Amino acid sequence: MEIELQEIRDFLAEVPPFDLLSEEALNSLVRKIGIRYIRRGNALPVDTESPSSLFVIRQGSVSLYTAGNELYGMLTEGELCTTFCVDEGRNTFEARTTEDTLVYSVPCSVLFDIVAKHPEVVAFLKDTPHRRLNDAVRSSQQKASQTATLMNTPLSQLLSEDIIDIEHDSSIYEAAVKMTEEGVSSLLITDAGKLAGIITDRDIRSRCLAKGLSPDSLVSAIMTADPIHMSSNSLAFDALMVMTRKNFHHLPVIDDGKPMGIVTATDLIRQEGKNAVHITRSISRAETVEALAEVSKMIPDLQLQIVSTGGSAEHVGRAVTAVSSAITRRLIELAEMKFGPAPVPFAWVAAGSQARREQSSHSDQDNGLIISNEMKPEDAGWFSQLAEYVCGGLDACGFIYCPGNAMAMNPEWCQTQEVWTGYFTKWINTPKPKSLMLSSIFFDIRVIYGEKKLLTKIQKKISKLTKNNQLFLALMTVNALHHRTPLGFFRDFVLIDDGEHKHTLDLKHNGIVPIIDLARIYALAEGLTAVSTIDRLKQAAGTPSLSKDGAANLLDAYEFIGELRIEHQAAQIKKGEKADNFLSPKQLSRLERAHLRDAFKVIQTMQESLSQRYHADRIG
Amino acid sequence: MLEAAPEGAISEYLSAPLIDRSRDIHAVPLLSLDFETSGLDASKDHIVSAGYVAIEDGMIQLSTARHELVKLGGSLTEQSVVIHKITDDDVSAGLPLDEVVGNLLHALAGKIMVAHHAKIELTFLTQACQKLYGVSPRFPVIDTMRIAKQWLERRNKEIEQGDLRLFNLRKRYGLPMYQAHNALSDAIATAELLQAQIGHMDSSQNLPLKQFLS
Repeated sequence: MEIELQEIRDFLAEVPPFDLLSEEALNSLVRKIGIRYIRRGNALPVDTESPSSLFVIRQGSVSLYTAGNELYGMLTEGELCTTFCVDEGRNTFEARTTEDTLVYSVPCSVLFDIVAKHPEVVAFLKDTPHRRLNDAVRSSQQKASQTATLMNTPLSQLLSEDIIDIEHDSSIYEAAVKMTEEGVSSLLITDAGKLAGIITDRDIRSRCLAKGLSPDSLVSAIMTADPIHMSSNSLAFDALMVMTRKNFHHLPVIDDGKPMGIVTATDLIRQEGKNAVHITRSISRAETVEALAEVSKMIPDLQLQIVSTGGSAEHVGRAVTAVSSAITRRLIELAEMKFGPAPVPFAWVAAGSQARREQSSHSDQDNGLIISNEMKPEDAGWFSQLAEYVCGGLDACGFIYCPGNAMAMNPEWCQTQEVWTGYFTKWINTPKPKSLMLSSIFFDIRVIYGEKKLLTKIQKKISKLTKNNQLFLALMTVNALHHRTPLGFFRDFVLIDDGEHKHTLDLKHNGIVPIIDLARIYALAEGLTAVSTIDRLKQAAGTPSLSKDGAANLLDAYEFIGELRIEHQAAQIKKGEKADNFLSPKQLSRLERAHLRDAFKVIQTMQESLSQRYHADRIG
Repeated sequence: MLEAAPEGAISEYLSAPLIDRSRDIHAVPLLSLDFETSGLDASKDHIVSAGYVAIEDGMIQLSTARHELVKLGGSLTEQSVVIHKITDDDVSAGLPLDEVVGNLLHALAGKIMVAHHAKIELTFLTQACQKLYGVSPRFPVIDTMRIAKQWLERRNKEIEQGDLRLFNLRKRYGLPMYQAHNALSDAIATAELLQAQIGHMDSSQNLPLKQFLS
C-alpha cells in the first residue's frame, strides 16, 4: 500500500459498510478506485458503456430518480450509490449530480470479488438504504410484539373469534341455555344485527329469578339496553379505565353498530400488568389533584417498563397519552363535583401530541374547550374555572403549561363552537405566520371528554376548506420545511470523531417533528380525519399526495427515530435524569448512525418532493 | 533524437506515437506528475520523490498510482525535510535515480504529462534525462496553474498572491482538502483539479488537446 493513498483509504474506512472490511481488503479496494469529477446536472454514470459500478460520493451530491422522474433519494458526501450494483436497481433508477461532485467508483464485479469474504458487507451493498432501514425497524418490532401490554393492546386482540349473541325476541330461558353451552357469563342481545343490549349472569339472578319473572319472558325485559361500549381499536387500558370508573365487568365491543364481542375485566387483568391496573384504579379513585400528581409520578417508570420490555415509540406514546387522558377526564369530573354540572354541553379537546397519542413523560399540554353555541355570557365563568382547574391539575401532574399558551385556560382557546369555526376558517383562508403555527397545533385535535359532536362539525368544515387548497397547503409546507434534518451533521461526524465534538442531535425537532408536519399536510390535502402520525401516513399512502413507497419509508423513519428517542429517554430515566430529546451521536453504534442517516434522508427526500409539489421554494 | 537515445524506457517513451493535438481532451491519456525536489535549481538540486497517476477515459485510475523515493548520495537540505517530511532514512530506502526515471518514462509513454506549476517537473525531468541518457526530450505538458491563470485573466480577475496555489484552486472548485503533502497526493490533487477545470469549460463543443498544452 502506498502510504500516500492512505487519505483515500481513511475516508473509505469511515463509510459503512467498508468499516467492516479487513485492512487487506480495504487496501485492495483503494487500488481499484477510479476518481471522476462531474459537473452538476449530469447523469451518473457518465460513460454508459463502462461496467456497472458502485459510486462513493467524495464531495458534492447525487439525486436518484425513479423511471417516472420522481425524486427518490439524495446522496451526499461519504455515501454510497449502490443502485447500479443491485439487480433491480439498474433499470429502476437514474442518478444525476445535484452539485459539482467528486466520485470514487469501482466496477461492481471487482467490488464483490474484494468483499466476498465479508458476507455482511455484501448484504449491505445489495440492499437499498430504504430496505435496510425497513429491516432494522422490522426486527425491533418483532421484539415489541412479543411483549404487548395492556397499554398498547387494542381490544380487537382480546376478542375471541366467535361472537356470542342472541336475538332480542328470544326468551330468558333460551339465553340461559346459550350462555351455559358457550360457558360465558354474559351475552350480547341483537336486533337485526345491531346491538340492542347485554345480559349477564347477575341479570338473570337479580332481574329474573329474584323478581319471580318467568324464564319464558323476553330476554329484552332483563337486558341493559344501549350499554356503554367501545370500538375494537380502543386500547385495553381505556376499556379497563371505563369499567373501573363505572364499576361493571363486561364491556361490549362494537364497530359501526355491529357487535364484535365482549371483553371482561378478568380478560383485561389476566392480559397483564398490575402496573396498568394500579394506575387506572388510582386515577379513578383520586379525589384531589395531589392524589393524581402522585399517580403521575409512575409515568416515567411506565415509559421505562414499556421500553425495557421491547415496546416501540408508538407503544410509549399511546400508553402515556392513555394515562394523561385518563388524568384529564378525572380532573374534569373532580371539577364538576367542585363547581357543579356544566351549564351547557362542551367538549374538552386535546391538541398537539396528546391528540396524536404521541406524548412522552415530559410532554407539555396543549388543549382547548369547545362550548356549545347555546352558552350564555354568564356561563363563561364556569368554563374558565374548569379550565384553570384542569390545566393546573395537568401541570401538577407533570404535563407542564404550554409555553405558547395553547391551553383552555387562555380565554382565546375557551370558546363556543361558532368562534372555533371562525378561527379555523380564518387560519385557512388568510394564513399568516402566527396562524400557521397555531394550525400546526390545533389541526391535531381530539375530544378527550364531553360532546364529540361539537368537534365533528368543525372538522368537517376544516376538511372541506383544506382539501386541495393549494395556497394554504403551500404555506403549511413552507412552514414545515423550517425543520430540516441535520444531514450535514454526519458529514462532520464522519470527519471529526475525536473528543472535541460536543454537538448533539435534537431527535424531536430534527427527526420527529418534520415527519409529523409532513403527515399533517398529507392529511389536510386529502381531507383525512386521522390524527396520529402513523394513522395519517397509513391513510395517505397511495393517494395523490403520498405514494405507497413514500409512506412506507416515512413510517420506517418515524419508527426508527422514535425508537432511538425512547431508548435515549429510558436510559436517562434509569439514571434518574430528566428525559430529553438530545442525543449525542457517540451513543450510537456505527450501524445505528447509518440507519439514522438513512432515516434523515427519507425525510429530506419527502420534504423536497412536497416542496416541489407546492412550489414552496417560490413562496418561502 | 530517438537514434541518439539508449535502449530502454527513454526510447520507449520517444517511440510512442505522437498524440494528435486536435484530439478531444477527454479522450487523451494523461499522466499527472509531481516531483518533490531538494530545491528549485535543477542544475544543483535533485529529485527527492516522484508521484504520478494516470487519467484514462476521463477517470483517475488509482491502480496506476506510484510513489517513488530517489536514493541519493548527498544529504537533504533542512528545508526540504520540513516541507516534505522526507528524511535521509526514507531516501536511503529509495530507488536509484535511473530506475525512478525509467519507471516514470514507461508510465508516461503514449500519455501527456499534467503538472501544477509544470516548470519544476519539466526542468528536473529534462535535466535527469540529459544526465542519464544524454538526450533532452521535449515533453508536451498541461499545466493546471497556467490554465487557472488564463481563466482568471480572461475574466479580468485580479490574481492575488496564493490564488494560484494548488490548495487554493482546489478550494475554488470545492474539492476536498488533502492533509498530506507529498508527491503522489499532489499528483492526484492536480489530476482532480484538471478534471474540475475541464468540467467547467463549455462542454458543448470539442475541447482539443492543443488548447491545454503550454
